[in-house]
Amino acid sequence: MSKITPIILAGICLIVPVLAQQSEQEYSTGRPGVRFAPLHIYIDSGNSSLAAYQFEMKAAAGQIKIVGVEGCQHKAFKEAPYYDPAALAKDRIIIAAFSTAGNLPKGRTRIATIHLQIIGDAEPQYELKLIVAADADAKEIPAEITFEKGE
Amino acid sequence: MTDKRKHFDEDLDLRLSSKLSADLNALFQPPVGVPPEVDRAVMDRADKHFARFQSGKGRHLRVHWAWRIAAAAAVIIFAFSLDLTKKTGPATDSFSIGETQAVDIDRNGRVDILDAFKLAKQIESAGPAETEWDINGDGLIDRSDVDVVALAAVRLDKGVL
Repeated sequence: MSKITPIILAGICLIVPVLAQQSEQEYSTGRPGVRFAPLHIYIDSGNSSLAAYQFEMKAAAGQIKIVGVEGCQHKAFKEAPYYDPAALAKDRIIIAAFSTAGNLPKGRTRIATIHLQIIGDAEPQYELKLIVAADADAKEIPAEITFEKGE
Repeated sequence: MTDKRKHFDEDLDLRLSSKLSADLNALFQPPVGVPPEVDRAVMDRADKHFARFQSGKGRHLRVHWAWRIAAAAAVIIFAFSLDLTKKTGPATDSFSIGETQAVDIDRNGRVDILDAFKLAKQIESAGPAETEWDINGDGLIDRSDVDVVALAAVRLDKGVL
């Protein structure tokens, strides 16, 4: 009996964490209340043309995961903006883009869309901070950043 | 015909000759006999060999190995519990001061998208280029250098908010 006991203990120690991990994965993927939603980001640059921007978004409340980022409909910022790939699957991201094109947007413009995975039934709260906005001469301009929740 | 056979059987000599008997004995006798001393020595060694597994020392060795396996399993589980296998993302490494100065194109002490924007405008205008703008060190000042600066601006470890 004393010979078999350590072997049984070793087996239990090896199998239990594996089973626990598997059940945890099943729980996280199969749990109800996980949904995907876009978050549309707008910058209002007033009468100035918007040539560059940088902002930070993070979840102030609720549990989210960033799953993707895309540019906007305006030709100047149509391509996907710059962001740290490490932000994916996290709840905080810094996004930036610039355009050297001649046709630049003015006024309120949707500049990017962040695709989110929202976990749980609680409605997440977002915190946005505009770090910089600039015109075609790379001169900083006053601007306001807002967001809209998509379906 | 019966008379003839009877007569024949009466004359048959069934005894073996002494020479044939000696030859048969020599042919079927074992060539070498195993001395009883050798038999005893073999048996003694076999007894000693198998007695070792039944002794307390043999049991101790087997139990010792079982505990080693258990200890190894415990070490593996401890390592997993510390999450030593988790890899850190390449973009979340700390940015050195030298690298920050290199990508701070406008020298305002802050790395943001305007550094990349200004570098892109310089490249597009084909204006005078400084060798220090070759951020990636490939001997060219082009869009790939702009990308390096822009990616440095959006790194998560900047901690802006």
